[in-house]
Order: sequence, then C-alpha cells, then structure tokens
Amino acid sequence: MRDLQHSLNQTQRVRLDAALNELQTIAPSGASAAAVTVADTIPVNDEDNILKGHGTSDQDGEVVATLCGVVERVNKLVYVRTLRARYKPEVGDIIVGRVIEIAPKRWRLEINFSQDAVLMLSSMNLPDGIQRRRTAVDELNMRSIFEENDVICAEVRGFQHDGSLHLQARSQKYGKLERGQLLTVHAYLVKRRKQHFHHLEQYDVDLILGCNGFIWVGEHVVVGENTNMMEDKPSLSAEVENFTPLETRKHICRLANAVRVLSALGFTLTVELIIETAEASISSNVEINDMLGAEFYVQTAEREAKRRADLLKKKSGGR
Amino acid sequence: MEYVNPLTGFRVDGRRPNEMRQLKAEVGVVARADGSALFEMGNTRVIAAVYGPREVQNKGQQVNSKEALVRCEYRMADFSTGDRRRKPKGDRRSTEISLVIRQTMEASILTHLMPHSQIDIFVQVLQADGGTRSACINAATLALADAGIPMRDIVTSCSSGYLCSTPLLDLNYIEDSAGGPDVTVGILAKMDKVTLLQMDAKLPMDTFETVMELAIEGCKAIANYIREVLLENTKRLECQRG
Amino acid sequence: MLQSKTFVKKTKAGRVQKVVREHYLRDDIPCGAASCSTCGAVEHPLSADAAAILVVDTNVVLHQIDLLENPAIDDVVLLSVVLDEVKNKNLAVFNRIKALCSNKARRFFVFTNEHHRDTYVKEMVGESPNDRNDRAIRVATRWYQSHLGENVKVLLITNDRDNKRKATEEGINAETVESYVRSLAQPGLLDLVVVSTSGDVTMEDVEDLRPSKKKVIYNEHKPMSEITAGLRCGIYHQGKLRVNRYNPFEAYVGSESIGDEIVIRGRSNMNRAFDGDIVAVELLPQDQWHESKSFIADDDEDEEDDVHLAPNNADDAPRKANPTQSTVTSSADSVSSRPVGLVVGVIKRNWNSYCGSLEPMPMPAGSGGVAHALFVSKDRRIPKIRIQTRQLGNLLDKRIIVAVDSWDVLSRYPSGHYVVLIENDINTRPFSTQVLACLPPLPWTLSPEDLANPNRQDLRHVRVFSVDPPGCRDIDDALHCTPLPNGNFEVGVHGSNKYAKCNFDLQWLWHIRSISIYTDIADVTNFVHPGTPLDEEAAQRGTSVYLVGQRIDMLPKPLTEDVCSLRADVERLAFSVIWEMTPHADIISTRYTKSVIKSCAAMSYVEAQARMDDSRLVDPLTVDLRNLNSLAKIMRHRRCERGALTLASAEVKFEIDSETHDPLDIGIYQIREANQMIEEFMLAANISVAEKILKHFPLCSLLRRHPSPTKEMLEPLLRTASSVGLNLDVSSSKALAESLDNAKAVYFCSGDLTFSEYYHYGLAASLYTHFTSPIRRYADVIVHRLLAAALDIAKLPPLFQDGPQLTGVADNLNYRHRNAQMASRASVELHTHIYFKTRPTDTEARIVKIKANGFIVFVPKFGIEGPIYLTPKGDKGGDWVVDEVHQRITKPGTSISYAVLQTVMIHMEVVEPQPHRPKLQLTLI
Repeated sequence: MRDLQHSLNQTQRVRLDAALNELQTIAPSGASAAAVTVADTIPVNDEDNILKGHGTSDQDGEVVATLCGVVERVNKLVYVRTLRARYKPEVGDIIVGRVIEIAPKRWRLEINFSQDAVLMLSSMNLPDGIQRRRTAVDELNMRSIFEENDVICAEVRGFQHDGSLHLQARSQKYGKLERGQLLTVHAYLVKRRKQHFHHLEQYDVDLILGCNGFIWVGEHVVVGENTNMMEDKPSLSAEVENFTPLETRKHICRLANAVRVLSALGFTLTVELIIETAEASISSNVEINDMLGAEFYVQTAEREAKRRADLLKKKSGGR
Repeated sequence: MEYVNPLTGFRVDGRRPNEMRQLKAEVGVVARADGSALFEMGNTRVIAAVYGPREVQNKGQQVNSKEALVRCEYRMADFSTGDRRRKPKGDRRSTEISLVIRQTMEASILTHLMPHSQIDIFVQVLQADGGTRSACINAATLALADAGIPMRDIVTSCSSGYLCSTPLLDLNYIEDSAGGPDVTVGILAKMDKVTLLQMDAKLPMDTFETVMELAIEGCKAIANYIREVLLENTKRLECQRG
Repeated sequence: MLQSKTFVKKTKAGRVQKVVREHYLRDDIPCGAASCSTCGAVEHPLSADAAAILVVDTNVVLHQIDLLENPAIDDVVLLSVVLDEVKNKNLAVFNRIKALCSNKARRFFVFTNEHHRDTYVKEMVGESPNDRNDRAIRVATRWYQSHLGENVKVLLITNDRDNKRKATEEGINAETVESYVRSLAQPGLLDLVVVSTSGDVTMEDVEDLRPSKKKVIYNEHKPMSEITAGLRCGIYHQGKLRVNRYNPFEAYVGSESIGDEIVIRGRSNMNRAFDGDIVAVELLPQDQWHESKSFIADDDEDEEDDVHLAPNNADDAPRKANPTQSTVTSSADSVSSRPVGLVVGVIKRNWNSYCGSLEPMPMPAGSGGVAHALFVSKDRRIPKIRIQTRQLGNLLDKRIIVAVDSWDVLSRYPSGHYVVLIENDINTRPFSTQVLACLPPLPWTLSPEDLANPNRQDLRHVRVFSVDPPGCRDIDDALHCTPLPNGNFEVGVHGSNKYAKCNFDLQWLWHIRSISIYTDIADVTNFVHPGTPLDEEAAQRGTSVYLVGQRIDMLPKPLTEDVCSLRADVERLAFSVIWEMTPHADIISTRYTKSVIKSCAAMSYVEAQARMDDSRLVDPLTVDLRNLNSLAKIMRHRRCERGALTLASAEVKFEIDSETHDPLDIGIYQIREANQMIEEFMLAANISVAEKILKHFPLCSLLRRHPSPTKEMLEPLLRTASSVGLNLDVSSSKALAESLDNAKAVYFCSGDLTFSEYYHYGLAASLYTHFTSPIRRYADVIVHRLLAAALDIAKLPPLFQDGPQLTGVADNLNYRHRNAQMASRASVELHTHIYFKTRPTDTEARIVKIKANGFIVFVPKFGIEGPIYLTPKGDKGGDWVVDEVHQRITKPGTSISYAVLQTVMIHMEVVEPQPHRPKLQLTLI
C-alpha cells in the first residue's frame, strides 16, 4: 500500500478489503487489545516488581507508553514493541549493509539504525587468508577489499561506547555480496530465526534475510570459491564467462518482486512465504513485472488470508 | 463584515463559535520516510515526513551529543495559497514557524534515548486555509509516532480568535484575515501542559483567558482523534503482520 | 457534512481569483415554530396558532419593507438566502429587516436554510444564481410544510410570476403580496403595498394609461456595463448630483475627471436623477454650452421660493476655480463657461423618505377606491411624487411622509408610497420598558456607597454654581473658582452637559437654555452602563434634538432632569476637571476626578450678568463670577490671537406663548459676557480632556475635528469681500462664516487619521473632543468612559478594541447630529412662518448676494435670509446688468444700483398660494 503505486479498480478494492478484514478477524484477539499509542497507561498488576522496558516510562507512578505499538509482557518485564521503528540490534544478528565511508582502519556501513555501523579492518579476513597483524600497507589497500557503495554481509559483534554497532565479518559466508539485488523492508517484518542464509537450489539463488531489514537476493556463490574468484577478477574474458545466466537472473527478479509485494502488504517475511509467492506467480503465469501490479497484489493478499485461515483451522482442529 | 451572524449565531461557513473544522488524518503516506502523516483541518492540508533517528549529517550542528538533534523544516507549496507564491522558502515566516515547530516537538521527544543521532522533521503545507501552524504540529506528532520515536506525550495544537465579541475556535483564512486577535496554543494532551502559546494583536486579560481555554479544549479534541487514528493504525499493522 | 463552495471572483486589482470555501451542513437547526416538538426550543418562536406561516422571497423584502414593518404582518420566516440577497442589494432595507428580526415583540424568525442538511440546494449546471436562490426558497418552504405537518399552513409570498408558478406546480401554497394582504381585510394595509413594475403579476392600472399619454418622456438609462466602459474611456463622467435649491431644473455634477462642475439643465436632461444620486453624465457638444447666469428660477408650475434662514449653505454649488484661469479678477464679464451635459445613467440612488403634503385635487367618485395623488415635498429639490392611496380624504390636508419606489421612462413623475412615522430618521418614540428598567430606583439620593468610593472625591463643601438659560431643567455642568493661598486660582468644571461648542457647527439650534459654563460635568456614565438597553438606545439616538418649544431626549427624563441634572441645593454625582490657573489664565496643572458636589446656585445668564455688573454686590458668589469672567476674557483673547473664529452667527430665538404655543416674539439671541465666559471654560475642559484621553488611548479616542475649508468654498466669500474693498487672508481661520459651512465639524476615531488631521479649524485647536454634555450627546458619554479608563477608575468597554465598530459609532453620531440640526432648522422655519403669518413687517435688510434677476438679503433683526426679485416672474432678467467683480446689479440707463452689503428697506409677509406651503415673501420698498 505504500511502496507500490496501485490504482485498484472497484472490484479489486472490494476483494482487497475483504481479504484484509479476514486477516483482522483471524488475528489473535490478544494482539489488538494490547495495542497502545503514546501516552497510554499500561495496566499492570504488581507495581513494585515490574521491570519497565523499552517504550515505557514512569509518570506519576503510572506506567505510560512512549511509543505506539504492542505491549509485551515477559515475566516481570513489560515493554512496548514498536512496529515501524528502526532496527534494534542484538549481538549475533546477521545484517546486510552498504559501505558509506572508509575511515582510518575501518569501514562505515549504513544499516537501518540510528547510527552507522563500524566494521574494523581487524575484524575482516584478509584476502590471502593469512591471520596476521594489519600493517600500514593493509590500511592503504582497504579499498581493494571493500569500496564505497559495496553491499556487505556481517555479524554484530557488540556495541561501542557511543552506542553504534561493531561488526565482524570473519567467516567465509560473510563478506561482499555481488550479482544480486538489495531490498529494503521494514525491520519488523524480518523475524529472528536460526537460519538467515538460504540457498534456494531450484533457482540457484542465495537469499539472505538481514535482521535490519535489508534483504539480499543474488546469484548463488559457492562459499569455497572465494579466493579463486579474487584471482580471476582482473581478466576480462573471465568476466564474460562469469556472466550470470538469464534464467538465474529471472529467478532473482521474481524472488525480489515477491519480497516487495509481501513487504508492501505488511506480511512477515519467511523463506517459505517468499518461495510460495514466487511459485504462485509462476503457476499463474504472471509476468515478472506484473507481479508488482494490482491484480497480483490482491491475489497475494487473498492467498495469505486463506493460508492463515487454514492454519488457524488446523490448529484449532488439531487441538 | 459580520463573521458571526447576530441573528442566528452561525459563522460564515455554518459552524458555531465553539466548533472545529472537519479533521482527517492518514498515517504512512510517504514511502521512503521512517514516519509520515497527512493531516487535514477543513481545507488546510499538511504533510509531514520524519527521518530518523539516523547518523548526524553535520557534526557542527550537534550541540549536545548525549541527546538526539532535532531539525525541522517548514515549507509552503507554491500552490498552497490562493495566488501562486514566489520565493516560498527562506522567507521569515517559514523560518519562524520552523523554529516554533522544532521547539514544540523537542519538548516532547525523549531525546536522551537516542544519543549521537538526529531526527529530521519535514513539514509541507499543501493547502493553506488558516491554522497551518497548528495543522503542522499535529501532522508532525502523527509522523513521529508513526516512526516509532519515543515521546512523552501527544502534542496537539489549535488556534482560536475573538471576533464580533465572541471567542471563535479554529479560524479559517477569512476569519484570520479579519484582523482580530489570533491565539495558537499547543499542549501535551495527557499531561495537560502548554508547550506553545502565541498571539498577535491585543486582548484584555480576561477575554484572553476565555479564548485560550477554548483553544485548549480544541487541542484536547484533536488529541482524542489523533489517538484513535494511531491506535487504529497499530492494530492494522499488527494484524497484517501475522 | 462538509460541502465546498467554489467560485471564481475578480479582485479589485482586476485579477481573477478562485475562491474555495467550506460549507458545513447541520442537522441541529431549529425550525422556530412553537408547535414543533422535534426541534429544539427557540427564544421567540413563531406562534403556535398562527393562521399561516409566511415565507417571503427577496423582492418582497426589498420592495415591501414598509408593509412588513406593519404589526399586522407577523409569523414570518426569513430564510438566510433571502437575507443575504437583501444585504447585497440594499443595506438600508437590510438594516430594517434585521431590526425587525431582533425585535422581540414581532414574530420574525430567521431560518438558516443554507446550512440545514435537508434544505441545502446545490447549484445545477446552467442554472443562474437567481434561479438557484428561488429554488432554495421553494425547497425550504416545502420542507417547512412537511416538517410542521398538515395542521399548519405554510405560505410562500412572492411577486415573481415564474416563482409562483413553479411553486404551485410543486404543491406549495403561494400567493402574491396583494392577494395575501387583501385576505387580511385591512384596508389601510393595502396602501403600504408597493405597486410593482411591469413584468410582475398584473395589478391594477398604475399610471395615466391613456394611450395618448403613453409616450416616452425620458431616455432609458444606459446599462451598467456600458457606463463603466464609458467611464473608463472618458466619454462619461461620474459624480454626485446636486440640485440647485433655487432652481430645481438646474443641477450640478461635480466631476473630478473634468475638474469642473458639469451643469445639467432641464428635466429631461436630468433624466430622473434625484438630488444626492451618483450619476454618469455625458457632455453635450461644446457649442451648446451657452453661458448662463445664475437665476433664481421657478419651475414651470409657478411655485415660488421659500424663504430660508441665513446663512444658506452648500446648495449654492461652489464652483471650482477653473485651473487655467487665475482667480477672481480675470473672470471679468461672464461666468466661466462651464461644461453642460446630460445624465445617462444612475450609478447609485439616494432615495429617501420625504416630508410634504398632497396637492389638492378633487375627490374621486366613490370612496374606497384607489386614487392617484401627487405628493409635493417640502424640499424643492425633490420632484413631485405620484402615489396611490385609498385614504385620499384622510391624507389631503395633512403632512405626510412618502418614500420613492421607482421612476419609469414613461412616467413624468416618480412613483412612491406613503409611509407613516419617521422623518429625518429621528426617533420620536417614547422609551421602551426595557430602557426604563435600566434607570436607578427613583427618587434617587446619594448613597453611602457612592461616597465611600475611593475614586470619588467629596466636593460638597466647595462653592459650586451653575449658569444656564432661563427655565433650564437639565443642568449639565457647574463651576467653581477658588482663590488659592499662593495667589493662583483653582477652577473646577463639574458637569454633565453644557456645550461650549464653536457656534458655527450648531447654528440654528434653537435652545431653551442659555449657555452656562461649568466644569463639573454630571456623571452620566455612572447610570448608563455599556451594553444595557439604555445605552444602546442612547447610542442609537446619538443626541437630543431641540425643536421650538420641545425637546426630544436622548436619555429618559428622570435621568436628564433629575438624577443627572446638577440642580441647586441637592447632592449630585459629577465628573470634574480641575485646573490650577494663574491670574493670567495660564494653566499650571490639571486633574480629573469623579466627585460629589452640591450646587449652591443655579443662575440664568441674565442673573449672572446682572450680578457681575452690579458693583454693589460683593458676596463670595459674585466675586467668584467676576474672577471667572476675567479669566475667561484672557483665555478668549488668547484663543482669538491664535486664530479661532469668533462668529457672530445669528441665532434666532423665539418667545413662545405658553398657552397657545404661538411665537410671541422673535429675535436674535443675545450673546452676553456670561455666555462667553461659560463657553470659554467648556472649551478649555474639552481640550484638556482630549489631550488626556489621546495620551492614554492614541488609537481609539473619540475626538472632534473641523477640516480646514478648501479654497473653492471660500471663493464666493472672497469675491463678496473684494467687492467692498476688503482683502481677506483666508489661510488662517480669520474669515467669515458662510463659506465655512461647507466643511462641517465631525466626530472621528483617533486611530483612523494622522495627528495633523485632528485639527479643529474653527477653534484653532490641535485637539478637541466633546466632554461637557453627556446628558444630551452620546459622544460625551463615550469620552467619559475613555477618561474613566484613562484614570484607571473603570475598565474600557470592549467596543474600543474594535476599530471598525468605533468608526461606525462615530459615523452614526455625525449622522444623528446632522439630522438633529436639520430637524431643528425645520422647526424654526415652521415657527417663523407662524409668527409672520399675522404680522407683516417692514424692516431693514442687507444685501448679501447678487443674482441675475435679483439679490439675496439678510434681515439682521430676525436672522432671516431670502430672495428679492427685481424682475417679474417669467422674465429672464434682461433689464438688469450684473457686475461680477464689484458685485453689483445695475439697471442700465438709470442710476439705480444695488451692491453687496448695501442696506435696503423691505417688506415681509406670509403668503399661502397653496395650502400647507406658506412662504415668507420679501419685497423691496
């Protein structure tokens, strides 16, 4: 509804509304009850032992929300979970970011956070794989590793004293990402899971869901070939051979569009959902660019509604 | 010209002296921004976009690094008034109103929670029909809440005036240009504290109190409406998320 | 519900602007009927058992306002769409209908149909605004009928044939005004119904419709678009029409575009324009601009001049000096050839109600029928008006008031209808009960609270006295004069009213009381509070009007004659101005305070003068009087040095027989020293107060100014003076009175003008206001309130915050003041005629103006001015030769000549060629 400019005609509008309404009815009632806006009082039973977490503050002895969101209670902790806010980092998160600046011995990355993240030179593997102390020459050659506007995948190592993030990219799976698309969605749509790196074999595509809402869809990179690729880079002919085949590119685009549609509808992004959406588009013979059109939009919404309804029925039926 | 009809008690557009214009608010209208809102008070339409908290662009401007830097920019579109304006930006009125909005919002944002960052509020008037200042503040509140920036309270604002010996709530352009006094009040709705109070022209003290009371009541009504809109929006997003 | 009104309009600068406005529709607007149970209660509902509820349309309101004001018409619903249209078309009628709606005694309800959800009507494509409004009226009527149910009959009153037809088609009861009024079966009412012009519902025969007479007498007025186009090109010229009082067939239009006055000669050239209308004039070709000599002319029906009381004013069209020629001397032998033109259109009508009587005519056969009569106004400048009436017999020899409705091209005379009541817009009705309820409980005495008030100083021990005309009952002001130990005097003015105005703005006010000067002014604002009905009534009246033998009060009698009046030997509340002065009348300090006084003597001017003159009397009171007198003389001398005008304006005074109310004696009012003394102190008080309030309230003080007269106004005066060998310097205010008449002194709000414009020419004062007479002038009440606020005694009422409202109040006061003057002048005229009716007199007179066929004389003994004819009627004055430079008229071949300021003997008597049109005729002996 936001990113995509749709002019829905009357029937489509009706169908969309119906689907969304269904979603609302399906949704667990607890969620809507717990929604608060700024300056709403949060009802608490036991005033003394309550730990006031994010998004709450103490006013006149009452616990008052400072954000718009949903109230979550975990044991004695009460906090407000926002929806459309910026990324809230935690140590160990996998994130995808873009290099903005090269500073002495570090790169500055833009992630969807209140400050830019820092990737130290020492947290990065050198191209030749040797573990050694970084010298001045290395510092001068930083550009050969990452340049400005490169997309990088990394992991959160910790927080700095001023609140900004410290990243590390030591493992082989981290590093520069090439031949693909970077998508930005809202951070709350990406849930923290065990796996963030997904290799979709049937498409030969890599899908990385960064916790900060940056999503990478790109050609599959075999992890071990990192060093080989570095050597082959200079030769032009090698470039030509390494051209991504058309099929793969189409798949990349299809998956990217699926992600766009789903984020526009506000559905949580999971790998299964993305794949399902992409499959559905192939099966209904929707052109790749038409995936962003009104019709597919409405269909996706309806499909999701149905899916959730089935899920609910299964749950209640299974019980 | 009689702004309040002595025989019927109605104003030029058919409102009673203590009635506001029709309100309409929409959240999340600008895709790129972290938070955005479109706010309408009668024929006055204002759009607000909030970016942040993000990295400080200009380190020189940052006075206190323990707190977030709040920047605000007020603009009137060329087509917003009856005649097309030349040089809409950079004139004194815009600068003054930018400052006013910034100070009002800063009083409410919990800046200490976001050190080393800056929050940008951009407000643009699409249609001006009196009360643009108030509409901008209301829109900015909505946008900030949409962006998930922690605030102490909802800030709302409303204007009122005194014409034909009656206090009037929410003046439109015709009533504003009548030359009578114009009082703009901005309050923190729940905490019942005044963050903005502006008036031009003179009023005797007791009349001023009546007029200000009326404006505060208007602000509270707007706060209720804004609260409903935000709540509705939150619920919708939550449901869709699944 | 929110609708949006979008329209495109043209701004004054000529740019096209699109205007978008909100228009809210409500569902909580009451219908106003008492019988309705669903709507909310209203303060003054339409009566539950009315025969019919009337809904009137715009034209009915505009044309039949007199009928609506009649108490027989009630239970009327006025739609807001109708009221808006009326307001745009005619503000005077709008004010009257607004007064009707606010009047609690009448049942007129205003229904806001434009904002009611069910009666809102959106303009259809291709529909004109008029049609849309008519449709709105019909929709509203239909809604009313369905809302109130079958029991109540809702009637649409309209004269528009189209509207009526459509209404009947839609099932609405509709009637024309005439048929409705007829159904009421009140014959007197039908007279008030205005005859409608052609195109409406056919009515009875209007004019002499004999085919032979049905010829077009006048040219059609050009349409407005053509006029504006012509004005822009310069073909037409715009200006105000002023009819020559002595010759109603000659008129002048002052046009800025030409720089001179355009002469309009002849009834057909005047083309149905009235005196005071704003007209568009087309110039005749230059060869038709034959020279004219100014005549004292008659119209073709053998009427003669009225005798008017001197001095005569703006009716003699002041001529702008031709810029190419130099002044007086060069226009040697002839009047400068002025452009002549004819009226092609009337831009703004100035139709009023006029007083006069009907021309005698034989009674029509069969009574009760409609008769056409010709109404002759007292004002010669107004043509005869044709009216229709059923009550011809009743009206024939009475003084009536007629309002003008229309003037067709076919008709020789304009059509009008007769109205009862108000003339000169002076409120003669007694005070309503609401107003009287605002009075304090009577009999009033000083209460302990008044004494305890810290703002009020107790001055009862001071020797305060008052000097007034004999028989005066409303005493405004009192004075005291105490010698101080340091040799200075403490002079105090305590008062409520006595004016020390400069004479020429109050010339012909015949007043019973004489001038007494006090500076203790009655504390009227203590009893008249802002916002009360009493205050509003007084503001509306503006001033007390003085007629011969009668006074129409601004405030109720108990206030004017008892509670506020500073009578002798009673304690009264006052507002005082107290000066400390040296024996040379230099003011050392001024202070203002509210006070309590007890006057020890209320003298008349004669008494006071006698006391001062009698050197044997040395009691403290007489000593005070003499001190005051000497101070006053010094002050007066100083004022004259500065250039104030001291006018010997002749005020006519009548002595009235108490029984028959006939004038016994007529004479010039004698100004004695005592009068001048009081006048001086009142002036000083007014000036002091003006300074004080301006200092505190520079933007909202009510002051009085007298703009300096322009050169053109003084020209005839210059000419007169030069002919007798006087050279006048008119750059300062040392000049004679007559020409100054044109620039009247007016009230204004200090925020509206710059400081240099505050000047009062007549008094040579940079600041002036009216403070000393709050009992008979509302302006003084306002100034009292300003002064109280300046002293922090009281709060300034909200009126003063509202600039435009204050200007409106000042304008109203000026208007009322002018009307009061005109009324009293008329009264004096009337009594003059009555006096001279039985006493033909021979007396001396002075020539003041030369005309082509005679001259105008002034009789100093009686203060009367009038024309003397040298040539018999009908003769265009070929015998006599006028010498403009020397201002004399000579018969060639003889040595008979008459020059300005020459004394002649005349004979005065009253003749009555027509009933109710008596004239004072002057002939040379």
